[in-house]
Amino acid sequence: MSLSADLLWLIPALPLIAAVVGACAPRGAFKLAAAAAIAALTGALLLSCGALATALAAPAAKLASNFTWFDLGHGAVRLGWLIDPLTALMCVMVTFVGLLIFVFSTGYMRDDARAKQFFCFLSLFAAAMLGVIVANSLLLLFVCWELVGLASYLLIGFWFQKPEAAAAAKKAFVTTRIGDLGLLLGLLWLQDSAGTLLLYDGGKGLLEPAVLAGLGGSTAIGLLLFCGAVGKSGQFPLHVWLPDAMEGPTPVSALIHAATMVAAGVFLMARVFPLLTPDALTVIAFTGAVTALIGALIACAQNDLKRILAFSTVSQLGYMMLAIGVGSWVAAIFHLLTHAFFKALLFLGAGSVIHAAHHEQDIRQLGGLRGPMRVTFATFAIGMMALAGVPFLFSGFWSKEAILHATHAWGVSQLPLYTGLAAVVLTAFYMTRLVAETFLGAPRSEPAAHAHESPAVMTVPLALLAACAILLSLLAWPSPWLQLLLDPSAAANDHADGVGLMALSIALVALGLGAGWAMYGRKPREKSMSADPLAARAPRVFAFLAARMKFDELYAATFGRAAYALAVFADALDRHGWDGAVRLLARLGRFTGLVNREADEDGLNAGFDATSESLRKTGRAYSRAQTGDAHGYLLMIAFGFVVLVFAVLFGGAR
Amino acid sequence: MNYGELFRALSPEAVLVAGALLVLGVDLALGRKKIAEARWNAAARTGILSIGLAACFTYAVGASGTAFDGALVLDSLTRATRFAVLILAGLSLALLPGTVRLRHPAEFVAIVLFATAGFTVMAAAQNLLVAFLALELASLSLYVLAGFDKSRPESAEAALKYFLFGGVSAAFLLFGFSLIYGLTGSIEIPAIARQIGHSPGSPLLVVALVMVLAAFGFKAAAAPFHLWAPDVYQGAPAPAAALIASASKVAGFTLFARLLWSGVGDATGQAPLWMLAVAILAGASLMLGNLVALAQRNLRRLLAYSAIAHAGVMLLGVITGGRFGPAALIYYTFTYGLATIGAFGVIAVVERAGRCDTLEDLAGLHRRSPLLAGCLAVFVLSLAGIPPLAGFFGKFLLFSQALRFGGLSGPAGGLAFLAIALSAVALYYYLLVLKQAYVAAPAAGCQDSIRVPAKPALALLLAAALLIALGVFPGSALGLAT
Repeated sequence: MSLSADLLWLIPALPLIAAVVGACAPRGAFKLAAAAAIAALTGALLLSCGALATALAAPAAKLASNFTWFDLGHGAVRLGWLIDPLTALMCVMVTFVGLLIFVFSTGYMRDDARAKQFFCFLSLFAAAMLGVIVANSLLLLFVCWELVGLASYLLIGFWFQKPEAAAAAKKAFVTTRIGDLGLLLGLLWLQDSAGTLLLYDGGKGLLEPAVLAGLGGSTAIGLLLFCGAVGKSGQFPLHVWLPDAMEGPTPVSALIHAATMVAAGVFLMARVFPLLTPDALTVIAFTGAVTALIGALIACAQNDLKRILAFSTVSQLGYMMLAIGVGSWVAAIFHLLTHAFFKALLFLGAGSVIHAAHHEQDIRQLGGLRGPMRVTFATFAIGMMALAGVPFLFSGFWSKEAILHATHAWGVSQLPLYTGLAAVVLTAFYMTRLVAETFLGAPRSEPAAHAHESPAVMTVPLALLAACAILLSLLAWPSPWLQLLLDPSAAANDHADGVGLMALSIALVALGLGAGWAMYGRKPREKSMSADPLAARAPRVFAFLAARMKFDELYAATFGRAAYALAVFADALDRHGWDGAVRLLARLGRFTGLVNREADEDGLNAGFDATSESLRKTGRAYSRAQTGDAHGYLLMIAFGFVVLVFAVLFGGAR
Repeated sequence: MNYGELFRALSPEAVLVAGALLVLGVDLALGRKKIAEARWNAAARTGILSIGLAACFTYAVGASGTAFDGALVLDSLTRATRFAVLILAGLSLALLPGTVRLRHPAEFVAIVLFATAGFTVMAAAQNLLVAFLALELASLSLYVLAGFDKSRPESAEAALKYFLFGGVSAAFLLFGFSLIYGLTGSIEIPAIARQIGHSPGSPLLVVALVMVLAAFGFKAAAAPFHLWAPDVYQGAPAPAAALIASASKVAGFTLFARLLWSGVGDATGQAPLWMLAVAILAGASLMLGNLVALAQRNLRRLLAYSAIAHAGVMLLGVITGGRFGPAALIYYTFTYGLATIGAFGVIAVVERAGRCDTLEDLAGLHRRSPLLAGCLAVFVLSLAGIPPLAGFFGKFLLFSQALRFGGLSGPAGGLAFLAIALSAVALYYYLLVLKQAYVAAPAAGCQDSIRVPAKPALALLLAAALLIALGVFPGSALGLAT
């Protein structure tokens, strides 16, 4: 089965139809909306597999199908769809992970009164995300990108009756918008200098050699595009929205804020990789490295189950950006794929825990869930080991190794490598902490004590995802299949000194796991109130990290304060400055109005009235000619005829 | 002479005539015992069916060049006009069931079909005799239709006036044609064109041309040959008036344009003889139609004067069409016909429920029937030329062509300017209609909601949908005519 590029639009169209069905369905028609969403995504998954077959048959061919959206002046705005291995792999990943999450949601959201809307929004999100992936035009990509932002806003704020959720939705929307502004400017710049936003267009597309040579490599364009990725993928310094986005329902966190949407930024960077100059790449690499480290650091001191995972996502996205920056976008995509599976697994596992523990998500209040929730524990442990990079068996290990090796081979600086290695230790450490606090020891609260395993509709997706978290190792080992598929040219320089670095990173993982076990696993927390071992050792550092390095406070104190000051100033200016001027003008206006009115009533208005009246009068006069007398009419014909004859004869054309 | 070819070229007309006979036969055989409603339904259904079949044949005939030794021409203009005429005639037939209370349904429908056959031959005529015969077939049918309502004296008056004027104008036309024949020795339009190209500008030719123009001015209700129009529009039964105002105009303008452009048109590159006369007619129609419409309180007379004003714009299209092609003119006449048929359809339905003479009789229409009020709004706004309705686009096309014809100082530029200025005046009286329908409260004693019969409702909705669709996607219709 294969899918031609002309039919690629079906992949985003199916979930879009499901979203329309969901929107039109009557309130409470939860089953209908869910069935439509799941059926549509199943169809999209099958089509994506077809697209993958097409792409595998000819990995190097960029099969594009372009069409004219509308004509504008002398040019035309054209959009299109594209099949290549990158698109196809992303489509399969998004539809597959999305499908499992949809299924999981039917269990998770069953008791919610607005579950119908939830599935409508989920479908809308899936449609937009798939649109981003299949777009062959940066303009179309941008449109879908914004739709993704909208769906994310709707879903984070799904429980808008909670003030935190509403605030988080707003924060996410505004923060990502900052990045999107950069992206939009980049697109405008590109359109201006290249004359097109199509990626592949039979030799005239942006990513094709002729145009690339013509562009001559502008660092600014690359950086502006990167701005969009910074916002969407939660990179430092715009990472602050991502942890707050956890206020949304947990399946949303899994789908959007872990597996797919946040990966859109990485995907964009991989897609436009040829446009990025070495300078831009350096910026990207350092941003990624800083993000990876900061995310991992903050994750060590969080107590909210989902928030830890959220900061871990920030950190992993940093890794992916780092890989892009050091030139190995294949490694980034590899990590994106593996991360999507195991992070979705972790979030759904967290959702299962939260569902079982009656929406208790503070790890200090949990504990001892290993017994009652066996499936969840086993799958969560697999996800945790994949994320921590436990060697050989788990896909996360291979993708992380690929990134570290690429970073090692980077000629510009070794600093990112060291930060990456540090983050490896921290990742193993905080994941051990998370698992130990949640699942080991004894229950520390009422809900945790009464927790029970979730229904099969939730555990089966967990099991499937866990299997994938392991099986995805096959993409890189025993043969670097993904590398050969996506970028055969770069596959040649394999890991020359790979063994040493691999041994080092395995040792670091072991160090992190060991430290975590020593602090949290060996002697699990007794009571929810007892102090965190790390806090006991370094209280100030822990408090600083627990407060998320005070980024929110920093932004509130700088940008927020500045904006507020500006607003106060504008308000004062408005009240006292402009208002006075306006009042004066108004006075003046009223006075002139008074003068004018007199003149108007007599002059202008009367003139207009007179014109209108004279028009009406003329009409009445003419209409009096319509006497109904047939003789008069016939006379009129004769008269008209004679006048016309004379007019043509004497005033005639020649 | 190839009669197979002739039959093929005239197959739509053959279907129409056969349909007319079938309508008569069916009613004669089966209808006598049935109630009037069922007879109207049956007759209208058969009529619409034969019109649909004729449209299929029109499609099959296609644009295949001349036929019957050049007496007929089958080009894209013919095809577009035939389609337009058939659609308009079909719509006016669909208005019949449930709206009129006339006796003899089969006769009415049959005569409509005869008139339609006349229109479609007019669309294809390339020979003065064929043209005259087709025109007379159509005109005689329309005289009968105008006087069909024997219970109302106005109807008889309308028919008589229409017939009187038609007779006089037919006399003018025939006289003009015979002069042309005498001057050129031919009745074939292309041959006439060749002849006139050799010896332009004799006074006799001028007289002949003006005679033809006067006759067409009558047909198009252009001032000063418009005087019949208000009386006929007022007196004739609404569906008959709709046909007179719409399909008859489309066919008339096609014939007119064909005669002027290719027959006595511009062979030497200079402005042709007739241009000044047509410009005078256009200007007079624009002024008179729009101004007198301001003074009207009667809805049908208002539509009549609006028709006169629109005829002025169409004459502008006749002037410019020679250079830019007929597509814009056909588009304009067709969309104007749609809107007018729709307006008369609304009048017919309202009349059925009570009176619909003055504007005040429409008061509170949106409460009595939202469907009628909504459709009326589409039709009236299209007549006024408000985007995105088709009326706007038609005006826009014609005016832009007129301005390109030679700028503001060109022969058509001044007229276009006048037409644009008078559009503002026109908006006033069109909005008066809508004000009554939407703002005014229903008069005491007629507040009952109006029941709209199914077929007319369908016809009105179809016309409104066509107006919107043609306004949003004008390219598809324009492509058909070029």
